[in-house]
Amino acid sequence: MTTGAIIFMALSWTFVLGLTGWAFYRLLTHKKHHDPDGIGPAVPPEPPARGR
Amino acid sequence: MSDDKSQGSTSHEAWGTRMGLILAMAGNAVGLGNFLRFPRQAAVNGGGSFMITYFIALLLLGIPLMWIEWGVGRNGGRFRKGHIPGMFAALWKHPAAKYLGVVGMIIPLTVMIYYTYIESWTLAFSYFSITKDYWGNTTQEAMVTYLQTYQGITPGSSHVTALGFFLVTLVVNIWILSRGISGGIEKLARIGMPILFLFATILAVVVIFLPPGPGGETAWQGLQFIYNPDFSRLDEPGVWLASAGQIFFTLSVGMGSLQAYASYLSKKDDIALNGIATAATNETAEVILGGTIAIPAAVVFFGVTGAMAIAQSGSFNLGFATMPVVFQQLPMGNVLGFMWFALLFFAGITSSVAMLTPIMAFFREEFGWKREIIAWSFGLITLLFGLMHIFWLQYGFLDEWDYWAGTFGLVVLAVIETILFMWVFKPENAWASIHQGADIQIPRIFKFIMTYVTPVYLLFILVWWGAQDAIPILTNAKSAGGGVLTPEMHPYVTGARLTIVGFAVIFAFLIRIAWKRNNYDDRAGFVEVDQSGRTTV
Repeated sequence: MTTGAIIFMALSWTFVLGLTGWAFYRLLTHKKHHDPDGIGPAVPPEPPARGR
Repeated sequence: MSDDKSQGSTSHEAWGTRMGLILAMAGNAVGLGNFLRFPRQAAVNGGGSFMITYFIALLLLGIPLMWIEWGVGRNGGRFRKGHIPGMFAALWKHPAAKYLGVVGMIIPLTVMIYYTYIESWTLAFSYFSITKDYWGNTTQEAMVTYLQTYQGITPGSSHVTALGFFLVTLVVNIWILSRGISGGIEKLARIGMPILFLFATILAVVVIFLPPGPGGETAWQGLQFIYNPDFSRLDEPGVWLASAGQIFFTLSVGMGSLQAYASYLSKKDDIALNGIATAATNETAEVILGGTIAIPAAVVFFGVTGAMAIAQSGSFNLGFATMPVVFQQLPMGNVLGFMWFALLFFAGITSSVAMLTPIMAFFREEFGWKREIIAWSFGLITLLFGLMHIFWLQYGFLDEWDYWAGTFGLVVLAVIETILFMWVFKPENAWASIHQGADIQIPRIFKFIMTYVTPVYLLFILVWWGAQDAIPILTNAKSAGGGVLTPEMHPYVTGARLTIVGFAVIFAFLIRIAWKRNNYDDRAGFVEVDQSGRTTV
């Protein structure tokens, strides 16, 4: 491969994989309550406290 | 207008999980074009030059349209409108708005019909691969003849096998659709998308590590073929149009299905991050995987000159003739062949089930029909019109539908929805709507791009394609499929156009009936309904 082609491929792949990685990082680490039916609470319910 | 009956059906569906939604949206976007059309377009349009214009089109056209379509769809969902006529009427309180939406009904229906037929070829070739049915056809010419014999085009060949696989593919599609959004489409995406990515990754790795071919070429020379920075072609309008066209096809914008999927979201749900995640997933499938399989493999076995000739002969020859020739020369080639066609099948089916979703939403919401009845009724319609594509393939019937609905029509719908959402609905409202419940703040430059740059870009494409292709095709000076238009083909070509016009008339009539039946007042707009069926305004 020529240097030009390698640079183009590297830039293209970096952009695409970077965008995908960033989007899924945000999706998986900033989990928001999913409320598809629109009638759920604004925040996810707290898990029940464990009794001792 | 105030009671539920006047607002159509109260039944509504919802996505089960956020990941399921994104996989389904990505499944809708990732289609045959990612693996067959993209590498061909990149190879014949200057490699590196194409990639530059491709990424510019992605930023100025693809991603903005993705957000616009998610916004149009979720806004329609506020009024329980999962179909384009209702979405447009929700944006523009004018009697004409709903009729503009006819375009958004014709496109998904017509594309779904012929796309299902093409999808059935991938199912058939998965079977032919694993059973080594085409083994022995070791040249490109022999495989093209094998494909044409399957299609019933060669003299004396039968349509029976193609019809059988079409029936199986259609039944699978309709069965999934009849199971609904969460129980059918989302489940398919959760199963199909990981398989698609797994098979594509395995094939990409196999291709990259292929030993040098008969002429000494390697897969790296194939990648050079795609990424070669030929800047001299940047001043060619054709390269810019080709990349813009590819962005349209690959992201499934202008189809009506993204909007329908987004209508099943509530105001609390994010669409900004979901939209960009969907586009990014599609780009990974296309640029990273799609670009690494077919063309590099063709270069290894046919050389750069041979691969260029194959690329110029069309996407289907690349996928259905070249790749089987390659697989016959590899160890476990039948398994690799099966994986190639199976990944195309999953790419196809996750897109085709999306196409009928807006049609199903229309009949459910406006006429109260049951999901199963609509699904199987449209299965029958797809079968009837699909037969025309099977028997009249060589007469350009499919090419004609593909051009008017699947190419030119996409731009028409995108122009209409962009103008309605960004100009009629107003940029401030559109921007606020997209950011409702958003997990990210979209850079403000995109508000300017979506308001001015994207519509101008779209209008430029529409005018250019109109002058370059649409008028010559309409006047029969040019073939929609790119080949020679013989006098024998004229009645079929005219018939193909008339069926699309017929669909338009029928949908316009049904929209009129639906609006009368539900007592909609175009000037007053719809009553907002939450997803449980309660009116909230």
